[in-house]
Amino acid sequence: MWILAAAFGRPARPPSPAEHPAEDQHALRRIADGDADAIAELYDRHARRVYSLALRILGDAPEAEDVVQEVFLQAWRQASRYTATRGVVAAWLQTLTRSRAIDRLRARRPYADAAGGDRAATEAVDSGPPIDWQFLSSEQTRLVRVALERLPLLQRVAIELAYFEGLTHAEIAARLEEPLGTIKTRIRAGLMKLREALAGVA
Amino acid sequence: MAVTPNEHAELRDLIELYAIGALTPAERRRLEAHLSECDECRAQVKSWEAIAGAIGQAIPQHDPPPALRARVLDAVGASDRPRAAASMMRARASAFAPWLAAAASLVAAVGLALHAATLRARVGDLERRLAQAIARADASDRKIADAQRASAVTQSQIAVLTAPDVRRIDLAGEPIAPQSSGRAFWSRSHGLVFTASNLPSLAQGRTYQLWVLTAQPAPISAGVFKPDSGGRAGEMFETPIDLPPPVGMAVTVEPDGGAPAPTGPKYLVGP
Repeated sequence: MWILAAAFGRPARPPSPAEHPAEDQHALRRIADGDADAIAELYDRHARRVYSLALRILGDAPEAEDVVQEVFLQAWRQASRYTATRGVVAAWLQTLTRSRAIDRLRARRPYADAAGGDRAATEAVDSGPPIDWQFLSSEQTRLVRVALERLPLLQRVAIELAYFEGLTHAEIAARLEEPLGTIKTRIRAGLMKLREALAGVA
Repeated sequence: MAVTPNEHAELRDLIELYAIGALTPAERRRLEAHLSECDECRAQVKSWEAIAGAIGQAIPQHDPPPALRARVLDAVGASDRPRAAASMMRARASAFAPWLAAAASLVAAVGLALHAATLRARVGDLERRLAQAIARADASDRKIADAQRASAVTQSQIAVLTAPDVRRIDLAGEPIAPQSSGRAFWSRSHGLVFTASNLPSLAQGRTYQLWVLTAQPAPISAGVFKPDSGGRAGEMFETPIDLPPPVGMAVTVEPDGGAPAPTGPKYLVGP
């Protein structure tokens, strides 16, 4: 009874994926064995985050939906390869999402990125080291968000241009007509403040 | 291949940018080659990637359209990669065909019982998760609204800064505020982003006002702003699409709410 009242009371928010690393790993092993129910399980846990990130990067709902499909298809195809690295599945999905969305963003730009990537972001993910960073808890993420909002505007802009637009520091410098070293310093200073915000929070 | 301490320090300085994906391809290749042989740097990458990852999580969340789920699962069903293992097992099992019919009915019975147990477990799990989610929802609703507002502002600022037609104008402090400096980015299609640092704090009832100088004699007001306690400002202003091309900008101090034309002393002027 309470469950109905609660469900109608307000929209339910899925728990943070940080809370399901073991279930995710298990689902991925089942996917590697060809279990389609497991991909549905993974979708239900992560589609919202995957979609939100793709939407944030691309600003276009139909394209974000295409990215969601590509990401889960890739998870389905590469599950067996990824389970071997024992990484955090949520972090892997997020990395796949960002790189696929950034690739689309780059393809959309009318001019060549002279100072930037000769290599697609997707390719960088596939050939780079395994993704095994820890997914932060929702409280840690909140702290990072608050810290991000408090950064000096140009530090925040440099960080967001790198993460959400996929620009290299050289491209950001060209875009903002700033010296190369300035952007590097700004990104590093900003990221250090984000890390300080997490100090002491497990 | 071992690196010298100097080279190591240089590579170490690339790690934060690597984590956020901002290295040029050449730098990235160089660092990746080093990572394969340096545990210390690999550990650093891992910790900075978690920070960069949090940036990708600290964004407004939106539900995907409900129809997308079926579309994705259909696409997965039509793709056969992981099924290879399963079909191999079936091929081996066919050697024992006479046993299959009997075994199948047993499997079906056991399967049904298991399925019922799984369903019960799932309902229990869902109830638990919903309870957790509701407990969190109250606390996070307001925070999410705040973040969405802040994020919308930053996104429009970024739209200016990444616009193909963006122009930059640097402003320097006038004698009244020699330490102050400012920078404006203007795009006809996206508006104006203005940042300043080391601005003197304002007296009660006063505000800073940014003026766009054009070929016309009268400066055009872009808007008013107040710096934070550290003297920093970062503002986004809409500009009319037919704004005459700016030749410069200036910041004055005016009464609260701003003035139709500059009356107070100039603090910043550029270029």
